Amino acid sequence: MTTNTIKLDPLRLALRLVRHRSRLYLLNSLLWTAIHALPVAYGLLIKVLFDALSGEAAAGLTAWTLLVLVLSVDILRLTTLAAGEWFWSAYWLEMVLLMRRNLLSHLLRSPGTRRLRESPGEAVTHFRDDVNDIAEYVENWVDFWGLAVFALVALVVMLTVHPLLTVLVSIPLGLTLLLTNLLRPHIRSARRRSREATGRVTDFIGELFGSAQAIKIAGRERAALEHFKELNHCRRKAALKDALVTELFKSVTDNMVNVATGIILLLAATSLRDGSFTVGDFALFVAYLPRLTHIMSFIGAMMVQHKRTGISFERLLRLARDADPVALVTTRNLHLSGPIPAFLEERPAPLPLERLTVRGLHFTYPGSHTGLFELDLTLERGSFTVVTGRVGAGKTTLLRVLTGLLPKEGGEIRWNGELVEDPGSFFVPPRSAYTSQVPRLFSDTLRENIVMGRRHHEAQLQGAVELSVLAPDIDRLEHGLDTEVGSRGVKLSGGQVQRSAAARMFMRDAELLMFDDLSSALDGETERELWEGIFTRGTATCLVVSHRRAALQRADQIIVLKDGRVEACGTLSELLKTSSEMQHLWLEVPEVAG
Amino acid sequence: MKVDEKTNRKALERITSLFGRYLRPQWRKASLMAGLLLGSIALQLAVPQILRTFIDTAVQGGDAEVLLRTALLFLGAALANQILGAGATYSGADVGWTATNLLRRDLARHCLSLDMSFHNARTPGEMIERIDGDVTALSNFFSQFSVRVLGALLLLLGILVLLWLERPFIGLALTAFTLLELALLGRSRRVAVPASELEREVSAKLFGFIEERLAGIEDLRANGGGAHAMHRFMSVIRGYFWGARRAWMLRSVIWLSSYGLFILGSAVTLGASIYFVRSGDITIGTGYMVFQYLLMLQTPIEHITRELQELQKAVAGIGRMRELFEISSRLPRGKGKVLPPAALSLSVDRVGFAYDDRPILEEISFRLEPGRVLGLLGRTGSGKTTLTRLIFRLYDPTEGTVRLGGVDTREADLDVLRQRVGMVTQEVQLFQASVRDNLTFFANDVPDERIQEVLAELDLGGWLAGLPQGLDTVLSSSGSSLSAGEAQLLAFARVFLKDPGLIVLDEPSSRLDPATERRLERALDRLLHGRTAIIIAHRLETVERADDILVLEDGRVVESGPRVLLAADPRSRYATLRRSGVDLDVKELV
Repeated sequence: MTTNTIKLDPLRLALRLVRHRSRLYLLNSLLWTAIHALPVAYGLLIKVLFDALSGEAAAGLTAWTLLVLVLSVDILRLTTLAAGEWFWSAYWLEMVLLMRRNLLSHLLRSPGTRRLRESPGEAVTHFRDDVNDIAEYVENWVDFWGLAVFALVALVVMLTVHPLLTVLVSIPLGLTLLLTNLLRPHIRSARRRSREATGRVTDFIGELFGSAQAIKIAGRERAALEHFKELNHCRRKAALKDALVTELFKSVTDNMVNVATGIILLLAATSLRDGSFTVGDFALFVAYLPRLTHIMSFIGAMMVQHKRTGISFERLLRLARDADPVALVTTRNLHLSGPIPAFLEERPAPLPLERLTVRGLHFTYPGSHTGLFELDLTLERGSFTVVTGRVGAGKTTLLRVLTGLLPKEGGEIRWNGELVEDPGSFFVPPRSAYTSQVPRLFSDTLRENIVMGRRHHEAQLQGAVELSVLAPDIDRLEHGLDTEVGSRGVKLSGGQVQRSAAARMFMRDAELLMFDDLSSALDGETERELWEGIFTRGTATCLVVSHRRAALQRADQIIVLKDGRVEACGTLSELLKTSSEMQHLWLEVPEVAG
Repeated sequence: MKVDEKTNRKALERITSLFGRYLRPQWRKASLMAGLLLGSIALQLAVPQILRTFIDTAVQGGDAEVLLRTALLFLGAALANQILGAGATYSGADVGWTATNLLRRDLARHCLSLDMSFHNARTPGEMIERIDGDVTALSNFFSQFSVRVLGALLLLLGILVLLWLERPFIGLALTAFTLLELALLGRSRRVAVPASELEREVSAKLFGFIEERLAGIEDLRANGGGAHAMHRFMSVIRGYFWGARRAWMLRSVIWLSSYGLFILGSAVTLGASIYFVRSGDITIGTGYMVFQYLLMLQTPIEHITRELQELQKAVAGIGRMRELFEISSRLPRGKGKVLPPAALSLSVDRVGFAYDDRPILEEISFRLEPGRVLGLLGRTGSGKTTLTRLIFRLYDPTEGTVRLGGVDTREADLDVLRQRVGMVTQEVQLFQASVRDNLTFFANDVPDERIQEVLAELDLGGWLAGLPQGLDTVLSSSGSSLSAGEAQLLAFARVFLKDPGLIVLDEPSSRLDPATERRLERALDRLLHGRTAIIIAHRLETVERADDILVLEDGRVVESGPRVLLAADPRSRYATLRRSGVDLDVKELV
């Protein structure tokens, strides 16, 4: 636990992050230090200017010379600001993109189980907001040095001008720090609530339009919109509370400036009359005060941002499960310019399957008593195994635990007798390929979706397309394989999506094919062609979830699941004799008349 | 130039009409806000005057008591200003949120009412960006604009008037500066609007990409597609970087040039003050006051600049919103004809349908009497699903008419129509919401008892009892906490909760095991009783309960008639299909 908190120290992570293009980061630090420190000189010049005007001129400097100096400082600052914006925009964008890239890469590529705990929409808000939070913390450090220089120099100058007044003025400054720190937890919780309310609204929009068809079909647009209105209302309330606390906070800082100015007025009254405190001194104090208060509240805010960054990191880590925090902030070439390197396919070395054995596989869904219990299973090379059972028997769960999409809690998986340590990274092509029950396609061409980066000959693609009985559909599509399938493949029918996913699986050229209810959206003839192809032309070992007679009949082995346990195992004719569950499943298929 | 003015005026018109529509109902709150704002501005203007009195009195060695009183007056004015200002900001936010929530709702309602061709072309992530992202940009603008921009403009005006009264030359100099500044800001809009539009676009692309990959994470991981997805991500990243940076720098150029102008203005003002103090025309206190006013000018101009950026974002957002609002559904609302109660008859008359100019259905005609069940057969892609989508008015036919209970579907009220037709599709869409909300679509007029009854009817009573929070248990939208079969049973429950006169089942049992399917069959018997139904079947056994059969091939009817007659005719396609059916071989084997 302790090592974990040390790892999560935002400062160390930020330091790690700025190793990415560290020279650009350093340049930014220098520029912004100058930008924030320059106003010290500006205040001093204004002081001398007003003194000159009231007849207490410093030797040799006329008011006009001073005016020129003021102008030069201003122009210098403007130039530095322009450079600062130019370089900081680049650095900020690189930072946020680096973190987003690392996070996505971790989720899609790293070993272990990577299942999202939240909806994709919610996960995207973490990609956006939490990453921005962390970048803001780094930005704080870029601003910090210049502000610190300003504060120190300003205090020294003020002390030399009027020590007593400086000390008295520091009291409201200190109060600013105190009060703002007291108020901050409230701000934070108000902001968090407002953000949560926002999350609920954006999530709902995602769900609303993700399920537009279902809502239309149900004729429930009005009810759904009513719910949307309710969520918006909650969000408004949360946002207003947030605005109120923030405004209160701002008032505190602004008021402290006024109180401090008031103190100066009260005390300087006598000094101004006897000339020991000049109008220039007054101008200097009044010029420095707002900046100093601002710095006080900046420091408070930075302390909070420090904590908040820790929380954002934690949220990202929760999203990324057991990720090494450092991996999220490790520098990478983002290839922002120049040619994008060609894609190099990475495939682990092929490992021909002789026999896959599973012993005592165990998994329960959190907070429930369903799952898989003490499951044993053996697959021989080239065999065809069908997993069947009633709804909720654990068929899909079995495939997902086996492929490491869900974390197994017990038991072992052996490939040719070798223990598989991390199923998640082991069960990938060329060892295995998988088609889920409701496969997803991406906004891209059909070709891109099927090939998914695999180096191939056109014949190989044709083979996969034919094996998945997709060829007739492709002929009918206007642009054939180059048809854009739309978001999540909406431009294709359910059966076409399923077969495209099957083609994607066949393209992987894997030893073991696992597919979940592949034929659920297919008509009889297409289904028969599909099974026919797999049995006659396919060479891979297959593990299939199905309750189709066509599949059951040809299976070398059927595994009947019931309540997460293997109820029976064997060929169809054996099982029909011995297993009452199998008989039940088989016979309750509506009889075909005749 | 002329074209530009026109677009400017157009943008202005859009904004004012938007303000009118969404702010008018809140005039009370809005006027309270205006009052607070005016008070706060008056106080802000008074403060430098107080400082002048103080300095002049002190330098001239005036009365100590007067000085004390002036100092206290300063404190009082400053504090009161804070309170009024905070009040104005708060009520501004209140008005802004109320207005934009209305706008969000209107936008969501409009988009939801559009036909499926709109939804098919957009990812949910994109819709979030459009409905929330754009409106939120507008919301900042709504709530801040009034306080910041109007307030800032008034403050600016006040300062300039006071300076004119003091010394016309100084007033003139600063007025010139202010006008220059505003002219600059006016011109900058032309650069910045396309820039922010670009930024939003690249941002929608970036997050859309991430959302899609996260939704398909299992397919990617288990098929080793992660590396390739990351490779595709590279060009998305690149697009985002250059687009966002361009927008950032364009915005920077605007505020930096405004800052530059401010430097110029302050040099002129300081110069004038120096001149007048030295010539004895004004006191040192007045000189200081002018300097204070100069500093005060910076804040409102900064605010106007910043809010102008918001304005730019808002204008870009409004443009996209208008685009959305201008997309009209290809499905007119209908004249609101009422559908008859009880079972509905269906007649399809010479219907044709083309999608993107590709014919999908041609010359389809048939009639289904009330209470009868039609089995719809055909290969994948033969147009079965499309045909049912027409009945539902997810699309309208390009030729011919569809009549339900004798009413042309285009003339019936769309909501009523969809209430009276029930449908179970192949893919079940679930929300990340409670079981109850998933079944009722967030309507709160369905009693829990009714829901429990329906679930029990579907044999899901035990499943419900096993849920930790019963009907309040939240289902995840990816459906991982639910087997596909259970999800499909829930889709049935949705239909059971309605009282449809026509039911469309799109291969409903495709993901069910035979035992569950049997359970469902019994429930279906009750559901279909006294109702008209169409069952799309990919498998023959599913249509055994049909009274009539319709076979589609390449978008045309190739066979139709009563099932029993077709089954008895050995030359019919239906009979041939049955003879060659997979299930038949299996039967022989057993």
